Amino acid sequence: MAQALKSAARYPPKSVRVKIKRYSPETGREWWQVYEVEAYRGMTVLDALLQVKEKRDHTIVMRYSCRMGVCGSCGMVINGTPRLACQTQVSMVASEENPEFTVEPMKNFPVIRDLLTDFTSFFEKHRKVKPYLIRRDTGEQENPKTEYRMTPEELLEIYPYSLCISCGLCVSACPVSASDEGFLGPQALAQLWRYTADVRDEAWRERLEIADDENGALKCHFAASCSAVCPKAVDPGGAIQMLRSALLKYKLGLWRKKSISGPVPPLEPTGEKMPLPPEAQTLPGVDLEAMEREPVVIDASRLLD
Amino acid sequence: MAGKGERRFLKNMPGWRASFNPWILRLPNNPERLAFVLHRITGILLVLILFVHITFTTTPATRGWEFWVEEIKRAQGITPVTLYFFIFAGIAIFHGLNGIRLLLVEFLGCCVGKPEKPKPPYISATLRASQRTLLYIVFALWIVLWMIAGYIIFT
Repeated sequence: MAQALKSAARYPPKSVRVKIKRYSPETGREWWQVYEVEAYRGMTVLDALLQVKEKRDHTIVMRYSCRMGVCGSCGMVINGTPRLACQTQVSMVASEENPEFTVEPMKNFPVIRDLLTDFTSFFEKHRKVKPYLIRRDTGEQENPKTEYRMTPEELLEIYPYSLCISCGLCVSACPVSASDEGFLGPQALAQLWRYTADVRDEAWRERLEIADDENGALKCHFAASCSAVCPKAVDPGGAIQMLRSALLKYKLGLWRKKSISGPVPPLEPTGEKMPLPPEAQTLPGVDLEAMEREPVVIDASRLLD
Repeated sequence: MAGKGERRFLKNMPGWRASFNPWILRLPNNPERLAFVLHRITGILLVLILFVHITFTTTPATRGWEFWVEEIKRAQGITPVTLYFFIFAGIAIFHGLNGIRLLLVEFLGCCVGKPEKPKPPYISATLRASQRTLLYIVFALWIVLWMIAGYIIFT
């Protein structure tokens, strides 16, 4: 999602009110609680929440880890928009006129307590799409001797999707996930397409059958909210449309994977010498031809002495 | 309420409201969501209108042609009926135009942009692709065609 850089560079109000939606699993009670926090320039919503936890109320529960938008742990609904708390500046959501902002747990995820959500179903769906390279020759995959061939253009086909940090914001914004628990969701489907489009993978038929399920790609209605909230511009919406298109063509017998690459064959010594460039000069006293005739052998044991 | 010592997770799903309320979440740079909600609402209304249409067009079989002709004559020039047709035109035009856009994007995978290396300000390729232009064209055409339909209906 595009970050509002101008508002991020502004000074936030000296004091902001953080309105947190809380939930107690013991009593089943939900309520809003407001905390006053002293803000500073560069303060993120996560910093504000941690300040609340340290100085105001130790009982607030949330998940966070890296504090720099890499781990994808601190996804929350901030002022009604699914965002990463560590990538949202307080100055982006609060101003002098309105110093209050709301923080809620992500939608479409079961809430364990306060801002902490349960990702069990999310990762089960992720696992369901087989998010790893599958080769027919399992021996070669288990004991690789060389890497698989992949051109920069082929890499670019899957590169944005491989940046997914599994933060769950796309699922939180998806209107289909909001009404259907079985739907695989934008994250899993984008990963399904990421491995289907990967030239090193050979299980594209299996994955397309998974996508053809009643809970698969056909349930997406292209609201594109997933792409709008993605903090890494992974573009799950675009990936799902490409997957659907491939699936339709596959079912009509018009689509098959363009190419599947194999391992790069190990280089055989050819005996050819790489000529030195004309401008290259050896150190004075070094005779390359003589060194080739009589290679210098360095005795490591003597070096130790 | 959970029993003593028992803990339960809160099911935090907006359900069908997410399909009918485009403002349930504040989603910047996402007019596709509005189109999605409008498509759902117009789809349901079209089904309802279809039932009204079927009920009305079966009246010659149940109550005779004279009754049908009388009803048609009586309905001409009545404001609610004209308004009904005007609203029906708006619903049908939007649903049809947006349906063509969705067919192009969802089934042919066109206009969604090519995968590219994300760079600041990290806007997904699909949101900058030509499908967005297509969406604006759909909205513009909808208004224009609806106005033309309104002109024909009211004159």
